[in-house]
Amino acid sequence: MLEIHDLHASVNGADILKGIDLRVGAGETHAIMGPNGSGKSTLALVLAGHPAYTVTRGSVTFDGRDLLGLAPEERARAGLFLSFQHPIEIPGLRLDHFLRAGYNEVRKSRDEDEIDVLKFDRLIRAKVKETGMDAALTKRSVNDGFSGGEKKRNELLQMTVLEPKLRILDEVDSGLDVDSLRSVADGINRLATPESATLIVTHYQRILSYVVPDAVHILIDGRIVRSGDKHLAAEIESRGYDWVTEAAQPAPPSVAPTAGQS
Amino acid sequence: MSPQATPEAPYVAAFEAAEHDGAAHDPAWLRELRRDAMAEFTRAGFPTARRGNEAWKYTDVRPLASTAFAAPAPDDGPGELDLSPYELPCPRVHQLVFVDGRYAPQLSTDPPSEGARSSHVFFERGDGPIVGRLAEAAHYDVPLVHEHLGKHAGAAASAFASLNTAFVRDGAFVSIPDGVSVPEPIYLLFISTGRPEPAAPTVTYPRVLIVAGRDSSATVLLSFESLGDGVYFTDAVTEVVAGPGAKLRCITLQRESTAAYHISTTQVVQARDSAVSSVTIDLGGSLVRHDLSVLLAEPGASVSLNGLYLGTGNRHVDNHTFVDHAVAGASSDEVYKGILDESSRGVFVGHVLVRPGAQHTVAHQVNKNLLLSDEAEADTQPKLEIFADDVTCTHGAAVGALDPAALFYLKSRGIGEAAARALLVHGFVREIVDSIANDAVRQYADEAVTAALGTG
Repeated sequence: MLEIHDLHASVNGADILKGIDLRVGAGETHAIMGPNGSGKSTLALVLAGHPAYTVTRGSVTFDGRDLLGLAPEERARAGLFLSFQHPIEIPGLRLDHFLRAGYNEVRKSRDEDEIDVLKFDRLIRAKVKETGMDAALTKRSVNDGFSGGEKKRNELLQMTVLEPKLRILDEVDSGLDVDSLRSVADGINRLATPESATLIVTHYQRILSYVVPDAVHILIDGRIVRSGDKHLAAEIESRGYDWVTEAAQPAPPSVAPTAGQS
Repeated sequence: MSPQATPEAPYVAAFEAAEHDGAAHDPAWLRELRRDAMAEFTRAGFPTARRGNEAWKYTDVRPLASTAFAAPAPDDGPGELDLSPYELPCPRVHQLVFVDGRYAPQLSTDPPSEGARSSHVFFERGDGPIVGRLAEAAHYDVPLVHEHLGKHAGAAASAFASLNTAFVRDGAFVSIPDGVSVPEPIYLLFISTGRPEPAAPTVTYPRVLIVAGRDSSATVLLSFESLGDGVYFTDAVTEVVAGPGAKLRCITLQRESTAAYHISTTQVVQARDSAVSSVTIDLGGSLVRHDLSVLLAEPGASVSLNGLYLGTGNRHVDNHTFVDHAVAGASSDEVYKGILDESSRGVFVGHVLVRPGAQHTVAHQVNKNLLLSDEAEADTQPKLEIFADDVTCTHGAAVGALDPAALFYLKSRGIGEAAARALLVHGFVREIVDSIANDAVRQYADEAVTAALGTG
């Protein structure tokens, strides 16, 4: 589903990603772990098409298409979804209006009819229930005055409504207490299908206790230096990142274990 | 025609002609009011000086002063007018329509509601609201008109207010008696035909007097519309008197032609515990200037001032507001927002005066401007003069482009560039539109704003 080859990216002239290789197949869940400043969030934002980042080398194929040639909105319509580490507050724009606009854009891109306000209202009420969010929030401005947990639930709600093929979750557990974490993780797990995939970007292991990855990749200084299964995450949790840094060798090409074909 | 010595001279001539022709039936005090105003206008002259002219330093009225505006010809009546584009979405409205400054009885309505007595019977003091013509009220020498007309707009004195008063003959008189709540919106619609060349540019002087009695409540919409895209000049004055405990919501929707000059002076005077909400929405005009002045004369008075101005083309919109905290324990809350595109320019000068002894004053002021093009310009200037020490006063100003982080967030959900920009712009204006409490007026204004923004 997602194939990243030798991806280099920079922001304001500074190289952040220095040759990423990664394959994520349909039905898989991968975790990218790394210390602060390793380039994890950059990878997530580059995949989503953030304009501040410049791809200087490499390629990304998503569902057979050249992802890097697509505008951010085209990537979303193609089925890529980024759950933001810091969701943006937009005063004055009602959450349900925002969601309906996105939902209908995705439908239009698939040559499906837009759905009207009433139908969307029913849909969103059902989805809100699934995510355990406070329904009143959908009538409020997007993320405006939301708590950290509400913002993360809102990202989950958007993901639930838009039904993407690839979910990229950037620090999805930050700002969540244990109960909220479990409930958000349940929501993420419910969205998993054999046709879709999940890429979890995280500093800490704790989300991976709830959303269990098929593969774990350690990102340090813009490169994947080690890949393994879920036990690698546990090892990071107990030993930190330093030992990986010390043991880091130039990453061999295409180290990702793949449990399926994209 | 001999060359005119000054830009004011044609107005003096028009004044003398009008006084000579049809002023005999007006009460003496009204004739005197006009004559004094004309003298004041002649003395002050148009504020065209480009130096030492603080109140007009951002706004150059020389093009206006040098244009010859004539009174609309008497036979310029509109005939059958389709008002459907201007209909409020509610079944009952107190509606007064003026076309090119003249009252249009066939277009004006009065809802057959209980408590709303015929608006035209001024000599009989009814217990319902009066929504009627100033000309009739003056003719019957209604004491409230005598008491208030021209007594308040002077505080925000400008040559334009004086000019309006010098020509005051008709307009709207709204009186809400003590304790009366008017559920229907009161709708004062001023339509200019705005004929393009070769028709001569015209000038009208819309005048509104609103007197809200003790513990009364009403919503008044003032709307300025144009049928054509010609050059004309609207010189409007509104005086608002809010009695003790009165709740008054005034909305002004300005949608003049893109070639029009619109200058307005509004003076609000508030008694104890009155609450006034003012919303000013500018969607049209070429050169627009509002002077909105509020006197919080007694403790417990509160005012909220909201404004929205959209700039396109070369439009110039200048909002000057002045809130006078004359006594202790009054509050004001002000939010003005501008969206400026192409080569337009927005000006906001927010003057708040907290007089000595006006303790426990609460005054908040915010002006935000969204610039949608490199050529657009916003000037924002808060002016806080505070002579009391136990007060809560804040102000803030912002000028900027659309937030790129917000744009990316919307795009990351599949929303394209144009739609994302439109959603953000609509989000920006929402706060102002939502500050209109009356459902029908809010819906009407919302549709007008949406149409003006040109995007869904």
